[in-house]
Amino acid sequence: MNGSLINPFTITHPTAVQTSLQAGASFAKFDPSGKYVVAAGKGDGSAAVWDLSTRAAVRWLEGHVKSVTSVDWSRNSRYVLTSSKDWNISVWDLASDLDSPQRRDVIRFDAPVQSASFHPRNCRILLVLLATGEAYIVDQRKKYRGRVELLEVFDDSDDEAQMGRARSAMTVAQFEPSGKHAFIGTSSGSILVFNARTKTMVARHKITGAGAMKGLDFTKNGRRFVTNSSDRTIRQFQMPTYPPPNAEREFIEQELDPTHRFNDPINKIAWHAVSYSPDGEWLSGGAADPAAHKIYIWDISNDGQFASALDGGREPLVHVHWHPRKSSIASTTNQGNILIWHCPTPERWGAFAGGFEEVDENVVYEEKEDEFDIVSGLTPFVSWVFALECVGGTGEEDESELAMRKKKQEDEEVDVMGGVMEEEDANVISMDVDDEDVEWADDEPDDDLKGWKMPIVMEDEFEDGL
Amino acid sequence: MDPLEGMDSTTDDDAASQTTEDDPQVPENHAQPPASAQPPPPPQAPPPTTSSREKPHYELRHTLRGHTQSISAVKFSPDGTLLASCAADNVIKIWSPFTGELIRNLSGHTKGLSDIAWSADAVYLASASDDTSIRIWDVDSGLTTKHLRGHSSFVFCVNYNTASNLLVSGGCEGDVRIWNVAKGKCMKTLHAHLDYVTAVHFNRDATLIVSCSLDGLIRIWNTTSGQCLKTLAEGHDAICQHVQFSPNSKYILSTAHDSAIRLWDYHTSRCLKTYVGHRNDKYCIAACFSVTGGKWIVSGSEDNKVYLWDLQSREVVQVLEGHEGVVVAVATHPIQNMIASGSIESDLSIRIWTDRGSLAVPSTA
Repeated sequence: MNGSLINPFTITHPTAVQTSLQAGASFAKFDPSGKYVVAAGKGDGSAAVWDLSTRAAVRWLEGHVKSVTSVDWSRNSRYVLTSSKDWNISVWDLASDLDSPQRRDVIRFDAPVQSASFHPRNCRILLVLLATGEAYIVDQRKKYRGRVELLEVFDDSDDEAQMGRARSAMTVAQFEPSGKHAFIGTSSGSILVFNARTKTMVARHKITGAGAMKGLDFTKNGRRFVTNSSDRTIRQFQMPTYPPPNAEREFIEQELDPTHRFNDPINKIAWHAVSYSPDGEWLSGGAADPAAHKIYIWDISNDGQFASALDGGREPLVHVHWHPRKSSIASTTNQGNILIWHCPTPERWGAFAGGFEEVDENVVYEEKEDEFDIVSGLTPFVSWVFALECVGGTGEEDESELAMRKKKQEDEEVDVMGGVMEEEDANVISMDVDDEDVEWADDEPDDDLKGWKMPIVMEDEFEDGL
Repeated sequence: MDPLEGMDSTTDDDAASQTTEDDPQVPENHAQPPASAQPPPPPQAPPPTTSSREKPHYELRHTLRGHTQSISAVKFSPDGTLLASCAADNVIKIWSPFTGELIRNLSGHTKGLSDIAWSADAVYLASASDDTSIRIWDVDSGLTTKHLRGHSSFVFCVNYNTASNLLVSGGCEGDVRIWNVAKGKCMKTLHAHLDYVTAVHFNRDATLIVSCSLDGLIRIWNTTSGQCLKTLAEGHDAICQHVQFSPNSKYILSTAHDSAIRLWDYHTSRCLKTYVGHRNDKYCIAACFSVTGGKWIVSGSEDNKVYLWDLQSREVVQVLEGHEGVVVAVATHPIQNMIASGSIESDLSIRIWTDRGSLAVPSTA
């Protein structure tokens, strides 16, 4: 709304650290509104919600007994999903005015949980990946309640050849933004695509030379995605289209060719995390440099050119996440500090003077008619009087004219109520309503509604004798 | 999302520059029966001829008495169930706007109060006092939950943001402070002005703060960086007294000592509308938007009346008479067509006006 006032230049990628939160975090993730981050604690199983406007922790999520391995936010930020090495996942309800907040659900698995995420359209559908390499879709809706394992299937033709071989472990699992499909990366460098409703595999993409998959990120519109893999290369792909699942359980076996490859050609650095900017025009990669805090930024709209490497000081980087709406990044250091990056705007001292506009470049002054005219042929005094009269005359005329014009201008209607850009659901991409998969996801909708507010919990006052 | 959250009204200059009782205006009202008696509706003031637009028909419903010194602010709670008022007598009073009953006194400040603000959930009330502190009250229990100290002079104005996790306050030393509500700690101090800061207000998404001061300037600030983004100066005779964002935060409304209220487009620094007809050259008088029925601008006046202008045409559409002192505080109800106005000595009353209107808007009892 105030973008033009705060930052008159086109929004670009962040360039400088705005603030550092001493959170003791192992990683941090923005919520979909960008007002909060949730930070997973280091090792002790705690997590905390930080309010970025006050730069303070507002909720402590205490319940896990071993480290939290992933966090996810529901689309309107009411629920937080944490997965932990203690074999549990928890869904926390931030609408309760308790600290620590109530847990809506705790779900136990048979192994440490590596990651868990909400379905983009309904936060009662969860995608869970275990450290043992299995992935499940957990549905908590009454009608569909259950836990279904996502199983990789093999072609009938080389069935026998495959029989002896163990399935490769699943190493990363995420819903794509529409929520129709779950994308799963494997240790053998494939991406498996499952239909979220039928839980059947619809495609397998072999990514040549990638090695084990480490990370996935999608642009908000779901048209492109990137993979991070053990060959230290980030690959960007166009999102293929998938036909609806059919009865024969056929699937597409297709290699995907990346549109871009991003790596560090000199140091051959691995990447801890990758994250798109909200418009998908920038890509950030957090470098796994053991001695530096470096975020690489590529300009996707400019054919993926390397744009800049942000230097966040000496504490090595462990995680990076781009703000869902703004040009801002949260990066976490191995010391547990969260750096919030922004685009600094230079202080404009002219702003302190009323009715004064600073210009960046010299502007040729456009002289008004008669402004500097020398009235020739008259004595200096007469010409002075004449000039005065001219000024007086035109001044009066101008004044009445100005008053008229002002009155006319003031008659223009103003709208003091409307025109507010409602925070649109940027996190759910619009789709055909009559789509079977959408219908399935929207059935029994969750209670994560727009417009809820996190209650303010007053901290106990410690009188410090001030 | 409540568009009226933080709808503001400031104060007379109580401890500071107050000059009372040299107003020769004799109230033409006859002896007003005290307390909750229901006087007949004041005669409708003849406004200048207007077009066929709809007009407000506000009538006096209740007269609330209880404050012993000048009232500085009245505010409806964002859910509309309560009315809070504060005065130079150190006390905040919580009233029922529907019955006119006094519900609770909040006392604890050691000097007079200049401003109050409700949190968006109507649970907390923040108060700005001449004892240089701000208190955050739990309105239900009547207890202070936070005591914010930091201003070096009288605190003159205070407001919450919509999320109610931040508080902004302005002091007579010229500073604007931003507070973390949950911790009760000051996050940032802006050395904003050279004179009393008379009003501060957050925009809808709390990215901006607008402040105005007796130094004659209106300034707009970036909340997170504390940078000054713009300064609006009205001119030497137009010292700004009060300023706030419009409900959609596209414009700002300011009142000034040249007896004019202005609506500004702060992006272009252009004054879009000027509302005149009332008198304001001495006190800090607030104006506010009325958006529950027709769109009006409401303001108190030094001729003891409350004026309503048509937002678009700038015509005075109704004048509410009844107060016997300068009306410095006005507030509009967030849901119903209801106005509260508060007056300084020697009237010391709060009046509640309602407009049942031709549209027959139901008024809850």
